Amino acid sequence: MRFFAVMIKEIIDNLRDRQTVFYALLFGPVLLPLLLGGSIILSLKQLSIDFDEVLPLAVVNAESAPNLMEFLYSNNIDIETAPENPEKAVRDGEVPLVLKVMPGFNDAIRAARPAPVTLLVNEGDKASAKQTRRVRTLLQGYERTINALRLQHRGINPDIFNSLEISTEDTSLDGAGGQLLASLLPFLLIISMVMGGFYLAIDTTAGERERQSLEPLLGLPLKRQSLVLGKFGATMCFVGLSGMLTSLSVFILFQFFPTDIIGGGLNFDASTITKAFLVASPLVAFISAVLITVSAFTRSSKEAQTYLGVLMAIPMAPFFILQFISIRSELFTMPVPMLSQYQLLERIVLADDTPALFIILSVLGTLICAGLLLGLAIKLYSRDRILM
Amino acid sequence: MIEAINLKKSFAKPGAGKKEQPVLAVSDVSFTATDGQVTGLLGPNGAGKSTTLRMLATLIKPDEGSASIDGFDVVSDVLAVRQQLGFMPHNAGIYPRLTARENINYYAKLCGLSRNDAKQRVDALLEQLDMHGFADRRSAGFSQGQRTKVALARALVHRPQTLMLDEPTNGLDVMATRGLREIIRDLARQGHCVLFSSHIMQEVSALCDHIAVISNGRIAIADSLSGIKDRTGEDDLEDAFVRAIGETP
Repeated sequence: MRFFAVMIKEIIDNLRDRQTVFYALLFGPVLLPLLLGGSIILSLKQLSIDFDEVLPLAVVNAESAPNLMEFLYSNNIDIETAPENPEKAVRDGEVPLVLKVMPGFNDAIRAARPAPVTLLVNEGDKASAKQTRRVRTLLQGYERTINALRLQHRGINPDIFNSLEISTEDTSLDGAGGQLLASLLPFLLIISMVMGGFYLAIDTTAGERERQSLEPLLGLPLKRQSLVLGKFGATMCFVGLSGMLTSLSVFILFQFFPTDIIGGGLNFDASTITKAFLVASPLVAFISAVLITVSAFTRSSKEAQTYLGVLMAIPMAPFFILQFISIRSELFTMPVPMLSQYQLLERIVLADDTPALFIILSVLGTLICAGLLLGLAIKLYSRDRILM
Repeated sequence: MIEAINLKKSFAKPGAGKKEQPVLAVSDVSFTATDGQVTGLLGPNGAGKSTTLRMLATLIKPDEGSASIDGFDVVSDVLAVRQQLGFMPHNAGIYPRLTARENINYYAKLCGLSRNDAKQRVDALLEQLDMHGFADRRSAGFSQGQRTKVALARALVHRPQTLMLDEPTNGLDVMATRGLREIIRDLARQGHCVLFSSHIMQEVSALCDHIAVISNGRIAIADSLSGIKDRTGEDDLEDAFVRAIGETP
């Protein structure tokens, strides 16, 4: 049980290190979900249009088109008088857009000709572009109404111009933003687990060499594997804690997500997050083993940081690869650590069914890789060269 | 009791290709250090002192030759050797975020002492090495002397019969050096075998009952201080040392 003494010492020692604690308890679990989740919520909000929200709209020459104004008003648009110089006002961002009812509008309507209106917009401004889409949709609705009236007036069935009836049905449960949000959970979880153990692993291995405390330690009457297992155990505690806290903060974060933005098919309730964490938990062993083994190769903290920094690209790789090409989750991707957890966690959040065999393969594959890496770390510590 | 017989060790140069000749760090080291005595391993920098001590401490395996600590072989009986041996390497690092007491207690636990036994042993060492003034302070701000005391206490925590100290007085001021010398003499008086490596003549002559002079990876001469002076015909240890390693004083 001497590995336990090593583990306890490394945990206490590293809890006294601000950098390690910051990355394990704050960076992954709090800062990262807020930054990433927050920005995704904001961008989704910007994309989606809420037609029930009352929108003020500046209109030039509103009095010439009372029927149109009535129509807009009944669709939650508040008509306001436009500023003196509407072009400049839109360009300077004083108002997001201005609707100009052009001279001759009324005459054109009466004469059944196209009636001119102009939208002054600022395409460079996201808010303006979003409101433009809403106003344009409403104007097109008004146009259809006028068209129908004109045709009926002449005794023609307006449906004659509707030669196709196109309807789209989104069969995915989640909608466009759903896939991205679903991949957010494994991404955050894995990154914060890696960051949680990063500095502890470096401190307990490469740091030990750098402080020259490794030599007296290796001269003690205890087996090298107790030493490696103790350091591995301490790293696992930090990685696991980081993962657990991140799950908790993702759960809390998604309580603030309006369901119409997330899409009805996404699950971020307590039982889903718990299941996701449990499915991801073999990664605690795998990530700790990677961190310990890589830093055992290196001579100094700086070298370890460089190598592990490059390695950080690996946990991020599945996230980006899966954004571009969709690798279907199949039996053969399941034993691959990280990739399988990405796919499984996405399925869990999307409430797709996850076959038990997939989970078993993922757990086994990940734990076997972790075991092999740990064996390698013990071997590295048994060489003469560990002291050179 | 330490017995080294024809120890030999060579290393590949760091970063060297496979074809390059390895560096011969220790070519032929034989000596004996007995219980109740302080034995000095005296030699210039790069003579092979640290490599010899590392082989005796089971940290690296000798290419040829053999050695034993209290009868246990350093290659075949590694854990028994480590149980007998307290080793304080050159510039031994301690954990800066732990207090002196925690540093020593950690080693006690690693050596398998029970909680109570560890507590008693740590208290006894804090007393013996006069460390009460800084026992519960974090080690980050310790002076070199305080750090050396912590490292020494750590090496002694499992009550080893044999003690090896690699240049322990490095960086210590005069008073700290004198204090350490007194501690080492005490340990020898209690019957421990103490092996002390240094490149400083005065220190070795002031402290050691028996001296092994090492140069270029081999033992040039090993005897008592007076024996070395007699055999080299020099009155001064420094001159004797220079003659022993094959130069003319």
